[in-house]
This record gives sequence, structure tokens and C-alpha cells, in this order.
Amino acid sequence: MKKNIYLIPLILSIFCLSVIAVALQLDTSPEMIVGDSMQARSFPIFLMILKLILIGVLTFQFYKNNPKPVLLEKFHTWGSMLLFLLFYLLTVYTDMFIGIFIVIFLMCILWGEKRLWVAFLTATITPGLIFLLFDFVLKIRFPRGILMNLYYG
Amino acid sequence: MFEQAISAMASVIVDPYLLGLIFVTTILGVIIGVLPGLGATTGAALLLPFTLTMDPVHAIAVLATIYVSATFAGSITAILINTPGTSAAAATTFDGYPLAQKGEAGRALGIAVIASTVGGIFSVLILCFAAPMLARVAYEFRSPEYFALTVFGLSMLASISAGGAVKNLIGGIFGVWLSTIGAERVTGIERFMFGNYELYEGLHFVPIFIGLFAISELLVQSKTVDKILKTVSMKAVKLPTIEDYKKIWKTILRSCGIGTFIGVLPAEGATVASMIGYSEARRWSKNKEEFGKGSIEGIAGAEAANNAATGGAMVPTMVLGIPGSGTTAIILVGLMVHGLRPGVYLFTEQVEKVYQIFGSMFVANVMFMLMGLYAAKLFARVSLVPTQILWPIVFALSVIGAYAFQGQLLDVWLALIFGVIGFFARRHGFSVAPIAVGLILGEMVETNLQHSLKMFDGQWWMILTQPLALMFLVFAFLGLCGPMIFSWITKQKN
Repeated sequence: MKKNIYLIPLILSIFCLSVIAVALQLDTSPEMIVGDSMQARSFPIFLMILKLILIGVLTFQFYKNNPKPVLLEKFHTWGSMLLFLLFYLLTVYTDMFIGIFIVIFLMCILWGEKRLWVAFLTATITPGLIFLLFDFVLKIRFPRGILMNLYYG
Repeated sequence: MFEQAISAMASVIVDPYLLGLIFVTTILGVIIGVLPGLGATTGAALLLPFTLTMDPVHAIAVLATIYVSATFAGSITAILINTPGTSAAAATTFDGYPLAQKGEAGRALGIAVIASTVGGIFSVLILCFAAPMLARVAYEFRSPEYFALTVFGLSMLASISAGGAVKNLIGGIFGVWLSTIGAERVTGIERFMFGNYELYEGLHFVPIFIGLFAISELLVQSKTVDKILKTVSMKAVKLPTIEDYKKIWKTILRSCGIGTFIGVLPAEGATVASMIGYSEARRWSKNKEEFGKGSIEGIAGAEAANNAATGGAMVPTMVLGIPGSGTTAIILVGLMVHGLRPGVYLFTEQVEKVYQIFGSMFVANVMFMLMGLYAAKLFARVSLVPTQILWPIVFALSVIGAYAFQGQLLDVWLALIFGVIGFFARRHGFSVAPIAVGLILGEMVETNLQHSLKMFDGQWWMILTQPLALMFLVFAFLGLCGPMIFSWITKQKN
């Protein structure tokens, strides 16, 4: 369990090293354009080195203070993240508003709403009002999908 | 100049559309403030897409009104249900709730309303005088000074919001790195785009902010679904008595100064201000033993300071383009989106709009006072909206808001991704505000460093020869290392 606290510095370090690796692959500009300034890769690499130093300090703080490991969240949290994924799939393959309707309905139930009609009403009224506001007042065109194709023609 | 300022500010009062907008936004801001978890920053992030089609002054007035009214409203739930509606009201719970438990909830709220209003109005007045003066100083700034100033702003991230200094700085650097995604401005070289040309102009702030503040908060709130909130009963809000005023006027004045000063410091905000305001109120009080048990000085100290910080935080935001808090970071994005470039230009070319914004903040302070006095009881009931209804609605507003900004689905995915990143960051004690501030300051840091290097033929140390730049860099060094040096000296003495 104690080793888990070093997981975060490890992940952050891998991220920094990956950024440096990608930055090193970036194109370089001719000297006449860059002049005395810096190449496009220099600044991100500088930032990541700075971040690696801070991660070193953070690891030392963890070693000294031995923080409590973070407890795993309840299913409500992970379930909500899964609903984001469902929203992505529904938006891409059906329609954004179908996605919003289903996700709101399921999220209400997942978070503990026992009255199905309340969840249904929330899932229906909210996207409806938002659609009216954005379409009629703010003149925003929504992405095409099953419902929007019917609406826009 | 003075006449121009007065007439611009007065124009707010004679513009019925703007007045109506401020009124509606104040109600919305108070509702956002009393809903635990939503807060000024999330509220401003959610409302930002709605302001896109508005006139620039109206749009910024809406965001600024949300800022001041939600900051105040956090105190309502802090006092009545011991749950600060915003982090800035956390210090108000220390004495507000104990006083409410003694059956004096109305008195506690009355003091919070008055202290907040005085703090807010004081800071707007300071903003009116300090901002143009600072703009005149900033007129002399060139790239080295701006570079040093942004470094100073980033160094101040060490103390922004929760999380340790190191974690905040890591978050800030991550934010600065995010600003490097897209085509590099001088050479046009594509960085970290991985073939995605929608990212050519870089990451846009709006979807990122919606993700970091609103979606991540949704995931954080999912952990509290079983929490049952209990309210303390209250008959009506009571205005402070003469005795109360005698007891708290010094505290309010002190906190006004503290809050405005803390707000002006780049990257500091209302939360830090209220904590310092509270602790200073305790330090100077003759009745220290009352603190934590329902001291009215404690409530006044925290509330005057957190609302005074709102005006203070607008100073670096509007004059230097350096946000003073998470919410002002969003207001800054609002300014940019509406073509109001923060900085000296704003105060020379568009001074009328600036004063209209200040005037709107002034009016918003008066409006939330009236709402606090006459409708706090009603607003407190809003806090009991079930989370299982509220947060799915926030989800819908977030995804549509992210989409509406540019009409791109990519922005919706970015908001969701950054929501999850923000959640994991918060889960491990990293605050998301430094990421947001880093993202905003990132471009300024890199561009000004590039210009400075060109100015000095690549000799970076020449930046240190510029007195103002050197001063900011020394401040940055002291901000980062000062506490460590101070504790080392104290240890050596002992």
C-alpha cells in the first residue's frame, strides 16, 4: 500500500519524459528565422525539466511525510466516467441530444434518484430548454445526427 | 478622465437592459453560490458560452456579477448548513454556523451581508483608482518586464488555493505546457498536435475551463451523493445593531484592505483573502475566546476580505492580463473572446467600457446586498436541490457550452477529457486553478521570453539588468523560497 504513493510521481515523470521525447522529434527552424531566440522544442523541454525537478521534490516530500493513500471512489464516480464514454458513443453514432437525454437519465438513477419519472422529466426538459435557448436565442447550429437531420432537413 | 469615468459608470444605471441583466445574473450568481460545489468559478465557466453573442460590456458584466454575487452567497450555506457554497466562504463557517446554532442565524447572515457589501464596494472603488494608475506604470513595460511579471505570477501559484506549493507549481507548469500545443507562433512549427489540425491554433480556453472546473466538480460531487444536508432554522435576516457595528467596523475596514491587497497579487484569490482576513480579525480582537464559538468579528473579517478580493483580483486581470484567481481567469478569457485585450490598450483606447464594467460590479454589490437581506431564506432552500438532479443538469450545460464556443465536437471531448484529468488531479491533492492560470500565462511567458532573447541578442541574463524585471524576478524568488529561507533562519536562531 505504501508503495502506491509513489505511483503519482512515477506517472508524472513518465509523462514528462514522453513530452521531452516527442519534443526532440519536432522540426527545427532555420537560423535566419529563429535568430537569437529559441527553437520551438526548447520551451516545452525546459518546462518538463523544471517539472521533473519539482516531481523530485514532491517524491522527497512523500518520503518524508508518508501521506495517506487515496481511497478508491464509489461506483457513482466510476459509473459517471463510463457515462461520459457512453455519451461519446451515442453522440458519434446517433445524435448529441439522444446522448444527453440517455446520460442525464442514467446519471440521475446512478446518483440515487429512485423516482423514474423525475429522472425522465429532468432528462427531457433540460436538453429541451437548452436546445431552445441555443438554437433560437444564441443561433448555434448543433452537429448533425438522427434528430438534428430531422430538424434541419 | 475623471468625468469620463463617472459618466461611463453612471451609464450603467440608466441602461435598463444592462441593469436587468445584472439583476438576473445576481439572482443566478446567488443561486450558484448557495449550491454546494458549484461556486463562482464553475458558474462563470458554465455561463461563459452564453455570453458569446452578447455585447462585450454586457458579457463581462455578467461574468463579473457572477463573481461577486456567488462569492457573497457562499456565506449563506456556510452559516445555515455549515457547508461553504464556495471555497472563499470556508472561513465563514468557523463562526457563522456556531452563531446560527445559537439561534442567531439571521444576525450572522446580516453581518455577512453588510461586511460583504462594504468589502465589495471598497474594492471596486480601489479598482477604479488603482487600475488606471497601474496601467500607466505598465505602459513602460516591455517584453523583459512582462516576462518577469508572468514568472512572478506563476511563482504565486505556489500559494493559490488548496494543495501544497509543489503540487500547485507542477499543475501550473502543466498548464503552461498545454499552451504550447498547436503551431508555434514565430516559426509555425506544429507542436504536440499529432496530426489533429483542429488544434493548429492551440487549445481554446473555454472547453478546457469547463472541463477543469465544471466536469471535474461533477465527478468530485459524485462522492457526496449520500450526504444529507441539514439547515438551521431562521426567521429573517437581521441588520447589525449599533453595538454590532461598534464591534466590527475596525475588522471590516482591516479586512477590506487585506482582501483588496491579496486580490491584487497575481494568482491569489478570495479564499486566501478570507483566511487571512479571519486570522487577522482574531489576532486583533479583544474577544479572542469567542472565535470558533460564534464571533461576529470572525464572520465580518472573513466576509469583508473575500468580497474585497473580487475587486482586487480584477486589477491584475484587466491591467496586466494576469488573472488573480480561477474566476478572474475565466473573466480574462471572456475579455479576450470579446476582443477586449487586457492591458494598457484597454485603459487608453477602451476606457469607457472599462468603467462600465467597474460600474456593473458596483451595482452588482448593491443588488446582492438587497437579495441577501430580503431573500437569503429563500435562496438557502435552493441548496437543498438534490444532487442527483442538479449535477446531471450541470453535465448537459457543460457539454453544450463546450460545443457552443466554436461549434466543434472536439471541444466537447476536450472538456470531458480535462474533466477527468481535473478529477484525478484533485483526487491526488492537485488543485485545478493553477492549471487554468498556467494555461493563460503560458503564451505570455513564451512570447515575451522569445522577444526578450531577440532584444538582447540571445543573452538571457541581460533580462536581469532591467530594474523592473529584476524586481519581479526577486519577488518571484522570494515568493518561492522565502518561506523556506525564513524557516531555516528561525531554526538557526533556535
